[in-house]
Amino acid sequence: MKGYYDISGDGGSNVLAQVDAQQARIAQNLSLVRNLLAIGSGKGGVGKSTMTMQLACALRRQGYAVSIMDADLNGPCQARLGGLRETILLPGASGATVPTTESGIGVVSMATLVPEPRAVEFESVATGSSHTWRATKEFTILRELLEGMDWGKLDYLLVDLPPGVERIVQYAELLGPTAMFVLVTIPSELSKGVVARSIEALKQTSNPILGYIENMDGYFCQDCQRVKPLYPAQSSIQFELPRLGTLPFDPALAAHCDRGGSLADLSTLPSWPLLQRIAEEMLKRAAELTPSEETR
Amino acid sequence: MKFLCVSCDEAMKLMEVAPPDRGSLSVVYRCPTCAQEIAMLTNPFETQVVSSLGVQIGADSDPMDGESRCPFSSMVPELGAPGEESSPELRWSPEASSRLANMPEFARPLAKAGIEKFAKERGLGEIDLGVLDGARKSMGM
Repeated sequence: MKGYYDISGDGGSNVLAQVDAQQARIAQNLSLVRNLLAIGSGKGGVGKSTMTMQLACALRRQGYAVSIMDADLNGPCQARLGGLRETILLPGASGATVPTTESGIGVVSMATLVPEPRAVEFESVATGSSHTWRATKEFTILRELLEGMDWGKLDYLLVDLPPGVERIVQYAELLGPTAMFVLVTIPSELSKGVVARSIEALKQTSNPILGYIENMDGYFCQDCQRVKPLYPAQSSIQFELPRLGTLPFDPALAAHCDRGGSLADLSTLPSWPLLQRIAEEMLKRAAELTPSEETR
Repeated sequence: MKFLCVSCDEAMKLMEVAPPDRGSLSVVYRCPTCAQEIAMLTNPFETQVVSSLGVQIGADSDPMDGESRCPFSSMVPELGAPGEESSPELRWSPEASSRLANMPEFARPLAKAGIEKFAKERGLGEIDLGVLDGARKSMGM
């Protein structure tokens, strides 16, 4: 009797061919994106999303074409950060048109489709089992975003990753081996311990890690115009990665994020020079790891 | 998944996929030699395995038609959007329909609702590429 491998084809289901075709369409759709940059951590609440938007602003200020894909489907922030909560996706000539902020940064976020305070619900034909399929469905949606948005010609597509150490490798697989990673932490041992796990997990991949950013490294006091400490100065956890920079907690920056402020507003804040420096370090590191970056 | 006609030792051919019924798919296979037919009846978990990949059993490799995979479809009525059904008084030109079909599937119901609302507010009877451009411009795109 014949076995599975004695029979050519896939029995008519065409499932494998559809998955392959989808991968090919994603590669084609991203062919004009020069750099994929994933901003992750593993830990939640460290400022990945705000840092992603701020880095996008810093890159935009340098004249780069930048878009953000909010890969956090369950806690999407980028629409609010970009002031695009009232926008829906509309069809363009080559997929859905990417909404842009007034600063010209493209933003694709579930928050434009699902208004606050609603939560994204992952429906399942297998009643009561949506938890079983959540991850698969999430990645299907992300593949559809990569495939179905008109990303166009970009210097940088920043991907704002959700928390979860185990998932960081899955995002690396989704984005492919050329996607570069930047990790965000806060100075606490708790956060650094989780980020250390993410670094270890990413070692399973060939994806370059540009470095890490220490967010909320102190508190910017508006009264005395000085940065005061928030965490103990010494940490027992050291990363074998370049530190791309530090950013103190700045109430003015937090307010700016909440209202979805513009690049023009951002560039008036005390944190702006630090953000620009982080972006410059990031680009320098990217150029070191991918020497032909400018010619890609 | 492949099916073998044991008596003929021949691979069976997929003949028909019936629309899902309460999460179950009926897929008919026939032996090309003896014409014996069998039906694979999936349980909802088995159906979900395939649907979660964003593909359909027996579909063409170029998808974009068939059952919605919209994870937000239950919200569409609450958002004042008509979902996949078009308003009867509005026609979609083939070109405009094609552009809609190139969007991520989960985003289509809301896009369709938004465009139809835009067209109705302007007393338009057909949605063509010009209307799509107008809708995008009205949203600053």
